[in-house]
Amino acid sequence: MVLLVENLSKSFGNNEVFHDISFSVNIGEIVCIRGKSGEGKTTLLRCLTSLETADKGSIKINNMYLCKEDNNNIKYAQKNELQAIRQEIGLVFQNFNLFPHMNIMENLMEAPLFLKNDTRENIKSRAEELLKSLELEGKEDSYPFQLSGGQQQRVAIARACMLNPSVLCFDEPTSALDDQTRGQISKIIKYLSSEGIAIIIVTHDNAFADEIAHRIITMKDGKITIEEQ
Amino acid sequence: METKVLRMLVPMALEGLKVTLGVFAITLIVSLPLAIVVAKLRMSNNKITSKITGTYIYIMRGTPLLLQLMFIFFGFYRVPYIGYPFSREQAIIIAFVLNYTAYFAEIFRGGINSIDVGQHEASLVLGLSKIHTFMKIILPQVIKNVMPSIGNEVITLVKDTSLVYILGSSDILKAARSVSNVYAAFSPYIYIGIVYLVIVAVLTKILDKIESKYNYYR
Repeated sequence: MVLLVENLSKSFGNNEVFHDISFSVNIGEIVCIRGKSGEGKTTLLRCLTSLETADKGSIKINNMYLCKEDNNNIKYAQKNELQAIRQEIGLVFQNFNLFPHMNIMENLMEAPLFLKNDTRENIKSRAEELLKSLELEGKEDSYPFQLSGGQQQRVAIARACMLNPSVLCFDEPTSALDDQTRGQISKIIKYLSSEGIAIIIVTHDNAFADEIAHRIITMKDGKITIEEQ
Repeated sequence: METKVLRMLVPMALEGLKVTLGVFAITLIVSLPLAIVVAKLRMSNNKITSKITGTYIYIMRGTPLLLQLMFIFFGFYRVPYIGYPFSREQAIIIAFVLNYTAYFAEIFRGGINSIDVGQHEASLVLGLSKIHTFMKIILPQVIKNVMPSIGNEVITLVKDTSLVYILGSSDILKAARSVSNVYAAFSPYIYIGIVYLVIVAVLTKILDKIESKYNYYR
């Protein structure tokens, strides 16, 4: 089990987004989270990737607690540990959020270079490898604005994979894609899962979820139901 | 007559040019980096910090630069406890830097606000530190966005340097006035007007170069 969420709750003011949610994700498993807009799917994803803090409950990623329940208070990991946990869980944003002023290679290398994960040469060859496997060869020197939406998304995936995450989250990955690129992204996601990366996908695209997911979590009125595929 | 005018004007204008360009260059070099810091303080979550910087910017933008020059040179030494008699040159640089930092800070604040929050979030998820995110991800994009507004202020600054006459400093406009008074001629003003135009033409070229340097991405 690579991700364990227990009794997680989150409110914005008096508005409770979700309440007492528990689920787990295994190595290489693809889990889709679906529900109508406003049901808190994205908020849940943002809690997992520590862009948002939960109010209650615990999140355990690769045996490290991002947050846990402590005498009815939620306690978040300390700075150093937080840094390590963040590297274990990547996020591909709905609008990708590539760095527009950096070329594709720089986009990929920025974080691992900053985190000093490896030597520059190794980081570079890892980036080249990823670009190749995502059919982005020859795009190293291009800038994000020069790429199509599907290509930008693949760059965002490559950038997240540079940190070798155990879990990779996708926020509405099919929202901006046509049918062909949609087929491509589901192929890539299946490939990543076969490499042992756990995948969490927030989507309202039911057909896509049915096609790709091992398990589907449906959010409704702040609660979840889980169905095996 | 005109040769006499020029014979007197040229050496004086050259001396004045040192003042004009000196004030211009020092103000720019000091206030641009300082303005980024002030913009960050202004945007700080700490209410006291943002209030203090907000008041500073309000005073600097709310009063004439001429008055600020006069206050720092003629008035500041009378202020109890912190008063200090600045020299003319010190007073000029302090007033210009304080004034232009305030304007530049507001431009940078707008520029920083214009950057999509997704850029911060992507950096955070990738494990970049706050300082690294600001310096390497946010600031380069801010500079691209604010260049046109900064350019405007830079050109205004060239012309504002003529205000130093109030403290008895001799810039190029002062040279024109002196020569004009001696020969009862208006032509010195025309010549100096042309000098301003030349300076601004050169700056416009440089600013365009910098702007187009950032055109490599959208």
